[in-house]
Amino acid sequence: MRRTELREALSTAVSALRFNAFRSLLATLGIAIGALFVSLMGWLLYGLDTALERTITLLGQDMLYVDKWDWSGRTRWAEVRSRKDITLQQARALAQELQTAQIVAPLIEAYGVRLSTGASTATVTVTGTVSAYGLTPAGTVALGRFFAPVEDRSNTPVVVLGHAVARQLFPTTHPLGQTIRLAGHPFTVIGVLVQQGTIFTQEIDKRVYIPLPLFIRLFGAANRSVTIAVKAGSEERMEQLRQELRGLMRRIRRLAPEAPDDFSINEIQAIREEITGLRQAVWGIGLGMSMLSFVVGIIGIVNIMFVSVAERTLEIGIRKAVGARRRSIALQFLIEAALLCLAGATIAVVLGNAIAALTRTVVPQAEFLPPYIPLYHIGIALALASTAGIIAGWVPALRAARLHPVEALRYE
Amino acid sequence: MKQPLIVLEKVTKVYTTGADTIHALRGISLSIDVNEYVAIMGPSGSGKSTLMHILGCLDTPSSGRYWFGGRDVTTLDDEELAQIRNREIGFVFQLFNLLPRATALKNVELPLIYAGVPAEERRRRARAALEAVGLGDRLFHRPTELSGGQRQRVAIARALVIEPSVILADEPTGNLDTAAGLDIMRLFERIWARGTTIVVVTHEEHIARHARRIIRIRDGLIESDTPNPEPITALPSPPVQLP
Ligand SMILES: Nc1ncnc2c1ncn2[C@@H]1O[C@H](COP(=O)(O)OP(=O)(O)OP(=O)(O)O)[C@@H](O)[C@H]1O
Ligand SMILES: [Mg+2]
Repeated sequence: MRRTELREALSTAVSALRFNAFRSLLATLGIAIGALFVSLMGWLLYGLDTALERTITLLGQDMLYVDKWDWSGRTRWAEVRSRKDITLQQARALAQELQTAQIVAPLIEAYGVRLSTGASTATVTVTGTVSAYGLTPAGTVALGRFFAPVEDRSNTPVVVLGHAVARQLFPTTHPLGQTIRLAGHPFTVIGVLVQQGTIFTQEIDKRVYIPLPLFIRLFGAANRSVTIAVKAGSEERMEQLRQELRGLMRRIRRLAPEAPDDFSINEIQAIREEITGLRQAVWGIGLGMSMLSFVVGIIGIVNIMFVSVAERTLEIGIRKAVGARRRSIALQFLIEAALLCLAGATIAVVLGNAIAALTRTVVPQAEFLPPYIPLYHIGIALALASTAGIIAGWVPALRAARLHPVEALRYE
Repeated sequence: MKQPLIVLEKVTKVYTTGADTIHALRGISLSIDVNEYVAIMGPSGSGKSTLMHILGCLDTPSSGRYWFGGRDVTTLDDEELAQIRNREIGFVFQLFNLLPRATALKNVELPLIYAGVPAEERRRRARAALEAVGLGDRLFHRPTELSGGQRQRVAIARALVIEPSVILADEPTGNLDTAAGLDIMRLFERIWARGTTIVVVTHEEHIARHARRIIRIRDGLIESDTPNPEPITALPSPPVQLP
């Protein structure tokens, strides 16, 4: 194919589309909707992934959590439920013998605890832990400080609030130094954690942290399984740490050599699986809707291209009479169909960007969604649309190319 | 020295439409030399246009042989026929057949586009061809902005621009008034004088008499093929000034 012919095909296609601008836009509606779905799907997935990654980073990628519960959901539920609780003694034993870890902190939880200030009340999860937890990414404060080592042993009633709790209780006032009551006991707020959760992990921010001894006095340690947070210090040491944790835990829990682990060593990464379902739903729906639109769109384009070929039969005859080859004619109509779809997709992408920007303005909480369609997904939408165009243009283009010159010239 | 450009041997063309078979050409044998000026005459439906389409490689015979410039055209495929049309043959139609949305210049450039001529050279040659037919001041007019005679001259420029071996004109004056028709015939006279072969289909005696040879066909057969001893060359008004 010669360059002059290619350029001619392109400019003919452009002028044909411009001449029938309104009809062309109408014809491309299906493709545009398909491209819009692809764009929005990409946008949502991108948002979900960013949100997830941010949470994972905030909670620390080099953290392992020894727990009775398996976060990944890979172990059978019945088996997990029948495991014995991890006790504080076991946690202490582990902390003493562990070599590889940088930080070890036990976490013990009480759910549904009533929290009140003079003005408002809330129900929160209370976590008892030690000062070292403040050195992990999950214990990073936005305001004030985490517990000091002295508070691990003293009975000073201090509390660190999760981000969401602080926002709810003290929307206008400064939380530090305020007194709150947990199950009726007064505590002084010394810190507020950074925001960690996102759209699907909001629970993380609805916790409050108090020193372990106080927790035991107020809520008791019986029937509570301890989670042991362990920071490796670097991602390279993760595997070594995992091995060591497993060996120690098996010994501490006195497991027979052939017995399976009666504990799990969890990673933050496991929460990825929490959103796989959501991701798949977005994918499935997005894919289904866009494919449906593309199919409808292709039918529309095929039709309009047949009309275009019919209308321009004489033109095709003239071009053939002066020496246009079949492939020149076919190319002209293929390009026309592809451009038609590309135009539709461009409109869709502009619309998609408007929707993305508007969503962020109207729903500020949706800050995990970017205010634009990611470039990668724009590329996919445009590529899919032009492919659809070429598919749709194929048969009409072949018909045009195969027209007999004399018959075409006779056409009025 | 005579050199045959077009040689037909027992060419037939049969159309089948449903149950009907129409014998448009029943066995045409003829030879046209380089730089002949031939008129093809005959009543309506006698097969003139059918013959022209075959001569112009727009259509292929049902049987018989056709040599163009020594090449057996009946064995060529679509692609090769397109190339012959593109390089060797200039068509002029009764209804002009210009692209309605393109300017005169663009219309004339069209065959050069399919010949792969680069844009600059294309524009230069198209402009020269339009100037040669007296339309140097109408380069950017669209067909609808031109008179019938001017449109036909654009079509002739489009035929001329490839410097064809032959110009095939099917009723070129059929849609023009007498004066405009005469202009066109004067133009053909000039083009012929420069060495191009010309074949004109017409059913008007006074148009045919411009040619040097007149072939009459009837019912798909050659009825007569005679030289024209007294061609109209003394034109009634001064000829169009060509550069
Ligand atoms: N595509 C076709 N299908 C069927 N019959 C055809 C076709 N083209 C031409 N014919 C028939 O072939 C015969 C010759 O037609 P052609 O167009 O060559 O005549 P013509 O001499 O050019 O006539 P006119 O002076 O009216 O243009 C006619 O009987 C016509 O009906
Ligand atoms: Mg005819």
